[in-house]
Amino acid sequence: MKTKMKTNRWKLLAAFVILTLVVPLAAACVPTQEPEVIKETVVVTEKETVEVTKVVKEEVEVVVTPTAPPAPEGPSGSVRFLIAENFWADWDPYQHTAQSQGRIEGQIFDYLVDFPDTAAPPVPMLATEWKPIDDRTWEFKLREGVKFHDGSTFDAEDVKASIELASGATDKPSLTAGDWIKTTVEIVDSYTVRLVSEKPFAALLAQLQDTIIVSAEDLANNAEAIKSQPNGTGPFRLVENEVDRKVMEANLDYWQGPPQIKTLIWEFVQDPDTRLAALMAGQADAIDRVPPQHLRVISGSETLKLISVTGIESVNLFVKPGRLPLWDENPAFREAVVRSIDREGLVTGLVQGASAVATSFLPTRTLYHKDGDPAYTKDIEAAKALLAEAGVPDGGPEFELWVASGFLPRADEVGAAIAASMQEAGLKPKIVTTDLGAMIDDIFSEDGTGAMYHISWSSNGDPTPHARVYSASFAWYFGDEELQRLIDLVATTIDPAAREEATHDLQDLLWKQLWHVPLYNSDFSIAHSAKLVGLEVRPNFKTLFYQASITE
Amino acid sequence: MLRYSLRRTAQMVVVVFGVVTLVFFILRLASGDPARMMNPPGQQEEIIQLTREKIGTDRPLMVQYWDYLLGLPQGDLGKSFHGGHPVLGELLKVFPNTAMLAVATILFSSTVAILLGIGAALRANGAFDRLVLVYVSVALATPSFWLAIVLVLIFSVHFDWLPAIDMEGPKSFVLPVLTLAVMLTPVLIRTVRQSFLETLSDDHIRAARARGIPEHRVILVHGLKVAALPLVTLIGLQLGMILAGSYVVEFIFNWPGIGKLTLDAVAGRDFPMVQGGVLVAALAFVIVNFVVDLAYAALDPRIRMSAK
Repeated sequence: MKTKMKTNRWKLLAAFVILTLVVPLAAACVPTQEPEVIKETVVVTEKETVEVTKVVKEEVEVVVTPTAPPAPEGPSGSVRFLIAENFWADWDPYQHTAQSQGRIEGQIFDYLVDFPDTAAPPVPMLATEWKPIDDRTWEFKLREGVKFHDGSTFDAEDVKASIELASGATDKPSLTAGDWIKTTVEIVDSYTVRLVSEKPFAALLAQLQDTIIVSAEDLANNAEAIKSQPNGTGPFRLVENEVDRKVMEANLDYWQGPPQIKTLIWEFVQDPDTRLAALMAGQADAIDRVPPQHLRVISGSETLKLISVTGIESVNLFVKPGRLPLWDENPAFREAVVRSIDREGLVTGLVQGASAVATSFLPTRTLYHKDGDPAYTKDIEAAKALLAEAGVPDGGPEFELWVASGFLPRADEVGAAIAASMQEAGLKPKIVTTDLGAMIDDIFSEDGTGAMYHISWSSNGDPTPHARVYSASFAWYFGDEELQRLIDLVATTIDPAAREEATHDLQDLLWKQLWHVPLYNSDFSIAHSAKLVGLEVRPNFKTLFYQASITE
Repeated sequence: MLRYSLRRTAQMVVVVFGVVTLVFFILRLASGDPARMMNPPGQQEEIIQLTREKIGTDRPLMVQYWDYLLGLPQGDLGKSFHGGHPVLGELLKVFPNTAMLAVATILFSSTVAILLGIGAALRANGAFDRLVLVYVSVALATPSFWLAIVLVLIFSVHFDWLPAIDMEGPKSFVLPVLTLAVMLTPVLIRTVRQSFLETLSDDHIRAARARGIPEHRVILVHGLKVAALPLVTLIGLQLGMILAGSYVVEFIFNWPGIGKLTLDAVAGRDFPMVQGGVLVAALAFVIVNFVVDLAYAALDPRIRMSAK
């Protein structure tokens, strides 16, 4: 009898254990709403992946017109976008050069002009029309009836204060001044201004697409306040400014009509797996920088969409002058290195998405892009012959090739593949895998040991800001005076035909000299819920939610 | 006791000062100029210099260090390089989230450890005991980052039962707590099991049984009281493990706590925020150890004597 009682107690204890563990879990697990149907992951072939990319590109080319009709019932719904980069800076105007910060500014501020297509003429934004007066002067008619988020009216004073500060024409330092030629603004009347540059500034219009227009009153009297509370004229206004999360609400008085989304949240989530899980679980509506390994997962889902564009970003092996004398002195050695690399294989096998083999040192979607000749396809025999011509049939000295793990997609694998290709030709690369900080330190340190660095440079689509990275102002300049002359010529030639010719000459020279190893133009992929429509993604990484809406 | 407490407090201050100093210099002497990280690779030197001036890293290292030390007693931990947010404010904002996760993990893990540990001890070398030991071995060998992803795929993505990320209500605790518990429970279960096995053969248990006290009272009252003591100490000592684990878990589950804040800051070389995160972790360690030491001293006069 006692044994039986003991047995019963143990059964009770076991039941208690099970209840303690299972009941809270089960209670917590009960869904509160109908589960969303997520289709199983489907493994697709390479060919299918390419087809998906094509469809997506068509989606990108849907141009957002400046006269989008407002939603009749007003803005509604909330969109959460998980981004891959830190919010590097505060909102102090023109005091950062971070891409992520620039992308979010595109929701809060407006610009004088806009470039929906980077290789086409600009369209009006806060400026309604413009014309050149002479080589250094442009006149802009400004839009009337535009209001800042605080209710103040936009006019010529705001343009003057903004452009002069951004271009470095005032006493206050500006981090964006490097992209500008100093430009002052003459006010003709309240809605007409003349921008006068110190010398001819061919990239002026292109630069205006990245220059937010800030209130003159704020710059003069609220400089501290606007560091945390930006005051733009854009479709969204900032309502929460956390370290890793920015919450915006629709600007109901927006001059183009209010956006269709009521609340827009941009949040920094570092881990790509976390971003993907959140999207698949319905906790995010869009995610940034989809890595290659996730592309198939997303394209295999009916509830998710993928937008992949070829970014205006050159991924090169940038070579540091002075670290590998043979490189600096011997064109045949440089070509041998380029010929040894299977760039097509890197794109199709590793980076994937909409990435494309670099055909110039200016990316495909850059204004006046021109494909280089020859194509520099992988040719090990040619590489060996070039090494012999360079006087190093044994491949020459060992050199360090640095890759930053976690910076560019699949950097480690890309580095390993490049090194393997080089070794096939007899070259002696030594891979150094590190993080971005260590790599940057090595580049700029006098004791740095790296010769080649796997990094990228992006721009807004104009040849001047992109070519600048090869100029004497940057660490990658080999003292090539003809190159510098052409970069200056492209920057200051106003006549479009002459500028196109100069840009072609510049690309030809870069392609011939091969001071760096061109690899590919980046893939820029954003995944989003099928419920989110109207999201606009551009090759210059601008990601615009003004015309986006949530559908059922 | 007072003298002992004062001595331990002084040691605590020295340890925190050492950690703060070490972290300050390691961050700055190790690779990664934050001004360069905040600009595109290859940016012009004058722009880099302007960025340095803006975030204050252009000043001599010792000046930065002195300013930091002067600010500490006033609660001024500096401002984030990213956006200028005051570090202390950000830490205070997210600390309760980490604390809640830690407390939930400790409660859940202790409950599981006590139940499984006692169950295993009562049936030592039996089927249940072996099953528990298998769990202990598997759990010890399971990386938390992997487990977290698998749990998300199953419970969030496939079944849509639980949130994949964020801290939004009680449901959002389940997966992070489970992940941390799998990391924490093996050592707790083994301790409880061993302790209980020893306790069951103690004289006071035999005496209790001889007095005719019901078996469940003998186990749950007389046995558990003694067997749980090492568990309490162990949980205190395991706080470091929970904190370390919470860094990974907060990162994967986008949990707005100290761990995520610190790891995000590390990636962006946000020195003031990293220093703040490490300071909180260091304080948590030394304070818990301090409390444990005081408790020991209060319970065991020999500790106080040896301190003299």
